[in-house]
Amino acid sequence: MIWNETKECMSRDEIHNLQSARLKKLVKRVYHNVEFYRKKMQELNLEPGDINGIEDLHKLPFTTKTDLRDNYPFGLFAVPESQIVRLHASSGTTGKATVVGYTRKDIDIWQECVARVLAMAGIGSMDKIQVAYGYGLFTGGLGLHYGAENLGATVIPMSTGNTQKLITMMEDFQATAIACTPSYLLHIAETLEESGKINKINLKAAICGAEPWTENMRKEIETKLNLKAFDIYGLSEIIGPGVAADCEYHNGLHVYEDHFLPEIIDPNTLQPCKEGEVGELVITTLTKEAMPLFRYRTKDLTSISYEKCQCGRTIARISRFKGRSDDMLIIRGVNVFPSQVEAALLEMGETRPHYLLIVDRINNLDILEVQVEVEEHFFSDEIKELEKLTKKISRVLQDALGLSVKVTLVEPKTIQRSQGKATRVIDRRKLI
Amino acid sequence: MIKQLSVFVQNEVGSLAGVTSILKENNINLKAIASFDTPEFAILRIVVDQPDKAKILLAENGYAVKITEAVAVELEDVPGTLNGMLTVIAEANLGINYIYSIVIRHKKAPLIIVNTDNLEKTVTVLRENGYLVADQEDL
Repeated sequence: MIWNETKECMSRDEIHNLQSARLKKLVKRVYHNVEFYRKKMQELNLEPGDINGIEDLHKLPFTTKTDLRDNYPFGLFAVPESQIVRLHASSGTTGKATVVGYTRKDIDIWQECVARVLAMAGIGSMDKIQVAYGYGLFTGGLGLHYGAENLGATVIPMSTGNTQKLITMMEDFQATAIACTPSYLLHIAETLEESGKINKINLKAAICGAEPWTENMRKEIETKLNLKAFDIYGLSEIIGPGVAADCEYHNGLHVYEDHFLPEIIDPNTLQPCKEGEVGELVITTLTKEAMPLFRYRTKDLTSISYEKCQCGRTIARISRFKGRSDDMLIIRGVNVFPSQVEAALLEMGETRPHYLLIVDRINNLDILEVQVEVEEHFFSDEIKELEKLTKKISRVLQDALGLSVKVTLVEPKTIQRSQGKATRVIDRRKLI
Repeated sequence: MIKQLSVFVQNEVGSLAGVTSILKENNINLKAIASFDTPEFAILRIVVDQPDKAKILLAENGYAVKITEAVAVELEDVPGTLNGMLTVIAEANLGINYIYSIVIRHKKAPLIIVNTDNLEKTVTVLRENGYLVADQEDL
C-alpha cells in the first residue's frame, strides 16, 4: 500500500518544484539561525538569495560528521532549546557522541516517513509489530515505534537482549511483523528452528536495517520464516531510520525526496556522479527544523535512479549499499570506528596502541574481537593478572563502543606495523 | 632462591618451539620447563643456565619476558616428601601459585620449584623444617 500517494507518486517536475521551494526556505532559515552555516556561506561569498532552486544545490557547502563533533552538543541547532522535544545520539569517531535534536514537527515528519516504509511492506492497522531494535539514544527503537503507532499498528516494544521472551511473545501474541537487524532476525529464525516453534509463528513481514546485508540474506530470512523482508535505511544525523526503504520489487530503496534531497558524489573529487554511477550518498534535509543539514556526507556508497518504479512510486531509488568511503564498521547495528578503539586503549595507558579488529559473523551474530599486544612493562607472570587485564581492556572498550568485545592478548610485535595506512581491521563477514 | 624466566606465548602451534629454538641457537641450557595455559595464551616458565642472557635474547626477538624468583627445594626420592613440604607451606598459611620440577641435575636429587605469595617466608619455614633450599649456583 502507498501511505502518502501525493508525496510518493508526484511527477518529477512536481518533485523538483517542491524541493526547490523547500530548499530556498531552508537556506534562509539556516543562514539566519545557525552561525556555523552562516560563516561557511560567507566564506563562499554566498547569500541566501543565491539559492533559487535545487539547481543551485552544488553551491552550498558540505557537512561532515566532524562538523557535528566540532559543534557538540547543540551548536548546529536552528531553533531555541525550548522547541526541542527529543535528543538522540550515536557514537562518534573519537569517543564524543553525535547529538541530534528534534522539534515536535521533526518527530511528525519522522513518524510519517516510517509509516510510509511500513505501509510499503504491506503492514497496516491490523498488524502487530515487534520492534526489536534497541530503545534509547539509538534512533532504531523509537523511530520504528512512533512510525508503527502512526500507522495504527499495534506496537510490541521488545527492544533487544532477550530472544526467548521475544519468541514467546511472537508466538503468544501472534505478531505479524518484526523490525530488527537482519543478522538478529536470522539468529531468531535459527532459535525458532531449534525449539521447533518455526511453524507456530505468524510473521508476514520484516523491516530490517541498521547494518548492511545481502540479497542472499534476504532470501534466507524469507525462506526460513516464510515472510517478506524489506530493507530500511536511515541515519540519526538526517532523522533516523525511514530516510529510504525498498518496496516489494526490491529494486533499490525509495528515498523520501520531499524531505530528504539526495545527491551522489565522487568522494575524491566531490563532483556529482551521473545517474547509475556509484558514489557517496549526500543528503540535504529539506524540512528538518531542529537540526537541518546542508549536503551531509553519509560516507555510504550507492548509486541513484530517477526512473519510475514498477510499484508506481516516482521518488528516486538508491541501490543496495556498496560499502563505505571511510573505515566505519557496523557491528550488530552499532557504528564502530577503529579510531575509537585506539583512543580508548591510549587513554587506558596500559597497552600500546597496536591493535587489530577482527569482525566475524558466527551463528548470524556479529562478533568483534580486539587483539592487543602484550608489552613487557605490563606483562605479569601470573595468569590471573593477565586475565584481569583482559577483562579490564574489554570493559574499557565496551564502554567506549557500546558493544561487547572479546579481547585477545597476543605476543609483542605480531600485529602488522603501519607502513602508510595500517591494516587495523579484518572483516570476515561477507556482506557485499 | 633461583631465577626463572616467564615468557608470554600465544596458544598456537609452534609457539613453544619458537622460544626453545632461540635458546638452542645461543647454546643456552634448559634445566626445567613448565607451561601454564589458557584457551588463548600461555605463560611459559623456564629455568636456564644463563637467565640474564636468555632474557635479553628473547626480548630482542620480540617476546614479553620477565625474570622472577622462585623457591627450589631438594627432595629425597621417597614417598611422602612432597606432601611433607606442601604441608609445611600450608601450615605457614602461604598460598602456592604454581609448582613444577627440575629432574635433570648432575648427580644430585631433583628440585621442586614453587612460587608462593611470600617467597622469603617460604624459604624460612622450609629451612626451619630441615628442607634443603637451593640457590641459583646449586643448579
